[in-house]
Formats: sequence, C-alpha cells, structure tokens
Amino acid sequence: MSALPEAAPLRRTLPRVTDRFALAGAVLIALIALAALLAPWLAPHPPDEVDPFAALRPPDAAHWFGTDAAGRDVLTRVLYGGRTSLFIAVTVLAVSATTGVLLGVVAGYAGGWVRDVIMRITDVFLAFPALLLSVALAVVLQPSVTTVIVAIAVTWWPWYARLSASMAASIATRPYVDAARCLGVPAPMIILRHVLPNSLTPVLVQVSLDGGGVILTAAALSYLGLGAQEPTAEWGLMVEQGQSLFTTNWWVVTFPGLAILLTAFAFNVLGEGLRNALDPRRIVK
Amino acid sequence: MRWHKRLLVAGIAGVVALAASACAGGQVRGAGGTPQPSTGGTQATQSTENDATFVYAPNLDVVTDWDPATSYSNEIIAMTSIYEGLTRYDAEAKEVRPRLATEWSSADEGKEWTFKLRQGVKFHTGATLDAEAAKKAIERTMKSGGGAAYIWSAVDKIETPDASTLKFTLKYAAPMDLITSSGYAAHIYDAEALEKNEDDVKNGKLDAGTGPYTIDSWQKGQETELTLKAFDDYWGGWRPEQYKKVAFRVTPEITTAWQLLQRGEVNFVQRLNPQLFEQAGMTEGVQAKQTPSFQNLLVLFNTAEGPTKDVRVRQALQHAIDYDGLVAALKGSAQKAGGLVPPGLLGHTTGMEPKQDLAKAQELLQDAGYGPDNAELKLTLTYAQGDEDQKLLVTLLTAALKKVNVTLEARAMAWNAQWDRGKKGDQDIFVMYWFPDYADPYSWFLNVFRSADEVSFNLSYLKDEAIDKAIDGLPQLTATDQLAADQAYADLQKKIIQDEAAVAVPYVQTYQRALTADVLGYVDNPAYPNVVSFYDLKPAS
Repeated sequence: MSALPEAAPLRRTLPRVTDRFALAGAVLIALIALAALLAPWLAPHPPDEVDPFAALRPPDAAHWFGTDAAGRDVLTRVLYGGRTSLFIAVTVLAVSATTGVLLGVVAGYAGGWVRDVIMRITDVFLAFPALLLSVALAVVLQPSVTTVIVAIAVTWWPWYARLSASMAASIATRPYVDAARCLGVPAPMIILRHVLPNSLTPVLVQVSLDGGGVILTAAALSYLGLGAQEPTAEWGLMVEQGQSLFTTNWWVVTFPGLAILLTAFAFNVLGEGLRNALDPRRIVK
Repeated sequence: MRWHKRLLVAGIAGVVALAASACAGGQVRGAGGTPQPSTGGTQATQSTENDATFVYAPNLDVVTDWDPATSYSNEIIAMTSIYEGLTRYDAEAKEVRPRLATEWSSADEGKEWTFKLRQGVKFHTGATLDAEAAKKAIERTMKSGGGAAYIWSAVDKIETPDASTLKFTLKYAAPMDLITSSGYAAHIYDAEALEKNEDDVKNGKLDAGTGPYTIDSWQKGQETELTLKAFDDYWGGWRPEQYKKVAFRVTPEITTAWQLLQRGEVNFVQRLNPQLFEQAGMTEGVQAKQTPSFQNLLVLFNTAEGPTKDVRVRQALQHAIDYDGLVAALKGSAQKAGGLVPPGLLGHTTGMEPKQDLAKAQELLQDAGYGPDNAELKLTLTYAQGDEDQKLLVTLLTAALKKVNVTLEARAMAWNAQWDRGKKGDQDIFVMYWFPDYADPYSWFLNVFRSADEVSFNLSYLKDEAIDKAIDGLPQLTATDQLAADQAYADLQKKIIQDEAAVAVPYVQTYQRALTADVLGYVDNPAYPNVVSFYDLKPAS
C-alpha cells in the first residue's frame, strides 16, 4: 500500500484507532476468535460426546456450563459454536464485501448506464427486508451452514455496493483521477489503484459494524431451524434447544445466548470506535 | 390420508413456533365410560351451579376440519365433546363401553354385528337419533373416503331392521365394537342437516353431533380459538357442578402454557417437558398427571434400496441405538418399548426389549463390508422438525454410529416435506410416531408394514407376501379368537423386528400433563390422544 500515495487518508488515520471503545471491541473479538480457534485444545470434552445419563446437569466442576439434553458439555459446545459463528461471519463478510465493493466501485466510477444497471439490481435486493430475504432463501435451500452463508451474503452485498458506489462516484471526479485518465491510464487500473483504495474507509467501518449483524442473523436462521443442523455446535441452534428449558435448566440457553450477545456487542463497539476514529470531522478535534 | 394426524404428532416435544409442529398428548374420560342419564334421584349432595369456563391450552391450532366424516387432526380434542360414536373404549378397563349404542352382539364368526341404539338421544340440530340417521352418517363417512374413513372398510352393508337397531354385514370379520369406538371417523351425526348447511359447518357455526357440548364460537387464528357450551338436551343430562363452558386457548410455547396454568388462567396443559413436569409435581395449586400413551416412535429402515437393503446393516443400526440412554435422557416422558405394540393393546409382547450393543453392530457392519476397517458408510435420516425427543434420538445415534465409522446425515423436516421424500424412498432411515385410530394394534401392521404399490406409510418399503398374508388375517382373528390374534401379533413382530429388521422401536411416549388442582374427575384415556372429557369434570368445592 505504501506504493499508493492516494491511500494516505486510510493509512494516516489507522494509528488513531486508539479509541478506547474500539480497542476494547478489538480485544474482545480477538479473545473470542482465539477461544474459537483453540477450541479443540481448550474444550474439556469432545464436542459431540454424549452422555444421556448425565443429561441436564447444572454447572459443576466437571461441566462448568452444565450439560444439555443429550448430556453434552455446554462449555465445549459454546467454544465450538464460536468456530461456526465466526466462520459464517468471516465468510459472509468477505464474500459480500468483495462482491459489493467491486460492483459498487465499477458502478460509481463508470457512471451512466453501467451505474444504472448495477444500482437498480442492488435496489431490487435492498427492497426486501434483509432477514426476510435470508429466511426465504434458506427455506428454499437445504438447511446447513453453507445455506446460511449464501442466504446472508446475498442480502448483505448490496449495502457495500451502494456505499462504495457513492464513494467511487465522488472520487471519480477528483483531480488526481482526472490526471490519471489524461495520462492514458486504463480504466481498470484507475479503479484498482486509485478509486478502490480510497473508497475503502467507510466499507471497513461498515464491515466491522456488520460482524455483529451477521452473527445475529446466522443465529436467527439456525434458531428457526433453517441453518446449522443437529449435531453441529452453533449458538443459535443451542438457544433454540434450550429455550423451553429456561425456567428449569437455565444454563442450556444462557451460555450460548451470552456468547451471541457478547460477540455482537464486541463487533458493534469495534465498529462504532472505528467510525469515530476514521470520521474526518473528528480529526479537527 | 393420515397426514394431518402425522403433522399433529410431529412436534411432540417441539416448541419451535415457526415449524408446523405439534404435540400429541392426550387423554380422556375415564372409566365408567358412559354418563348415566340423570334419572330422578340424582345426587344427594347439594351442588351449586358451575358457571366457570374450563380452559384447555393446546399447543397448536385446534380445528382444521369441522366435517366429522373427514376430520383427522388436532380437532379431536374438541370433536369428541361435540360428537359421539356408538361405543367408547375404556383404556383402564381395556373394554369397549356403550355410548350411543347400549348393547351389541356379533354373529356369523364376527361378520355380522347388531347394535341397539340408545333411546331419547337428540342431535344438536333438533333431530332425534334413530337407526336410519346413524346409518346415513356412517354411509356418508364411508363415502367421503377421507380422514380415517378406512376404518369402515370391512363393512359390506348396513341395515336398519327397526328404528333402534343397526345391523352391519361385513365382507370379512372385524372387531366392529372397537371400530365404532374410534376417535376418528366413527362419529354419529345428523348427515342431512350437515349437508344442507355445508358452509355453516365448514365455518364452525353449526355442528350436528349428539355430544354434551356444542359450538359456541370459533375464530380461526385467534388465541382463544374455540369455545364450547353445554347442549341442554344432552341425553346424559346435566348436573349443576359440571362445566358448562369450555374454551381452547392456543399456546404454542410450553413455558408460556406452564405460566398460564400456574396463574390459573388455563386449567389444562396437554404436554409439559419432563423438567416442567417435575416442577409441576412440586407446585401448589397444580396437579401433574402422567399416563403411558399408545404412541411410539418408529425408526424405519429402507429395506428396498441403498446400503440398508442389506439386512445386516439394518440389524447393526438396531444395535447402535442407545435405548436405555434415550429413555434416561427423556426423563420419564418415555418408556422403553418391547415391540411394535404399546402396552395396553392386544398383541403387546414382552421379552423383546432391545439393548444397545455397539460391538455387535460393528461386527454386523464388518460382515456387510463397512465398519472401522472399511470405507465410511454414509446414511441419510429424516425426522420431524421441532421435535426435541426425535432430535435427542438423532444426537445419540449420530454419536454412536460415528464410533463404527458410519456418518449419519440427519435432516429435520416439516412433516409434509419429510413424507413426500419418504414416498419416493429417498432416505435410508425414516423417523416418525405412530398411534392407532382406535384401540387396536392393526394399523401399525396394515398401514406401516403391509406392502403397497404406492407408498403411503409403509416407509420401510417392506414387501413380503407371508407378512402381508398374516396381516390380512388379523381383523378376523381379532373378531373371533383373541388368543390366536395375540399370538399372530407376536409372531409378526418377531418377523418384522428380528428377522427383517425393518424397524427399531425405541420407546413408547408417556403423556405428562398438568391441571389446576381444583379440577376433579380427570382420567387420561390414551385411546383418544389429548382428549379431555370435560363432561366428567367438576371443580373441587
């Protein structure tokens, strides 16, 4: 990136991400990600080890978070569930941000009918409430983790497309872009080297803000039986399994619920912090 | 034809509001069977008039079909209070008791049945019950061919020698006294009025039964979907303390239903999970009731195609199920099954209780060319979405099979989707519940294991002439020689479960219900799943 002087705004502001909230969010996410990644070593039991004779044991020394209806260790499954949830979040964000940004930047830079076509398609997707569209897609496809990823990614990319299209449109009129064009730099090169890097800042903020949203949506889909299937460890699925036990066996639903809450919260805090840090108006302060 | 009913059963323990799941629970009126007409000398004790409403909290919509001929779903919980059959089965005494018929007899080795009708019975439409009306109702039901109309398939003709006598001539011997006690398709109704007012009947504005209650209001989709009121001219008469009003308040969430019960806003919750049930037993103001049901879980193996075509693989699967663990984890809401027929029914066998044996399973798989030393075996399984009990089976079975290098791809599906897929033979293992339409084991065999060109419920796809022949002989034996019938059922179960390994039967469900403590007279009758005989109840005074 250092070869790109135009990327300066991004680079210049990055060290400013010392905002306490952003930092807290980042640390939290790092911890959650670490716990998920190291689940096979951290977890006290194999994730699908059942013990029907020890079903629904309250938290104790052997099972810190208790056991579920099949006698599986809830702590273990929360850790493994983190793998599923984070994997979904990362994949969805990567796929939808890449797709959305590429389409958006092309639309914004090209303008004219190219912009019209791309943005109208985007509008079609945005016309549906996101969760509703995801649910509809997940119903049609076979329920699985892959389905969840596809169903969410399809509803998520248009936001990035719209965001980066408006950024790209304003950047396309900047003098340095004009200059590049006058020098005969081909359009794809201009987009890749000038427009794209300079459109990324708001997308970055949006991605970090969306992490929580994706995890919540994925949990919602699994909760509705449209996502991860038994015996996969997934937070939404665990909440669904535990909800009717809440008054009698609170631990089954509480711990995965807290995991969802904590992760979504961490992403939001990070996103808010990033937005503040990267807000040009704030630099004046 | 049974899909409504399966759907209704699909959800058992499930509480997913979204899925079209449901719960079967059930019970009914109790012993004694028949209400006694309130002749002059009623009770000596003075009771005050009961103007309370008895509130039943079902977990899914009550009525999908108001036609007593074709009704085959959850509305049984209301229909059996509005409509009555010729007889009623008493599950405690294991006997058929009089209802609209006062006595009956059979002749010609069970091929001829004569029923004497009760005198002075009025339909809610105002008409009087006589043999002609009963005949018309049964013939209309038979003609409809929908729902459980098949129960009448033995009937060749119905005659009415006089106004109070109904004579059935059968094509083959069948236990008509049991058949007329069915909770489905055996209702006697005013067929003429029903046909004349078809729209009103469809919209729940009118009914044509003889039962103690009649429709007060029906609002589809409302929380309090249905209310019933006493039918003043009921042949059994009314005592002051009986409940004159009944309401059905649809409460999908099991925990919500439990809270409503504790607050006294509902009187009856048809099924609690074992944990709440345990709590109910210790809660003041609540009575917890549990009764073994006639409903068991069937794990059907595909005998026609795929890896399970090999009987050794099927036997290995039977051995891989952790029967004891499953029952332990279900914590009292199920008891281990000893064959296809639940206890309390003709043909129930003992000594066939299965046990998990992974070593044996591995050995069998090895013989069939699978197991840990060979290539991984992948099997597909479908089960009911939202059903926690079935999910538990899947979880335990998946974990057990993993140890013998078998990967289970389990898919939770809505009943219709699961059934459609099953009809195409598109899975290795099909999980579902089964319960009889009347208190007789025949339907497990006729519907589930008799071969049929077009798959309906024979989802193990078993095709065996000897078994078919044995099944076809069952009604006749039941009607003529109970001991021989019992033996025939036992032999068939051995064949189907042990020799063919077409099915594993992990458990029979136990109904775990709760009522407010002030309700007296409640008896669960598993022959009528989830039904409460409101007429037999009274509040404690």
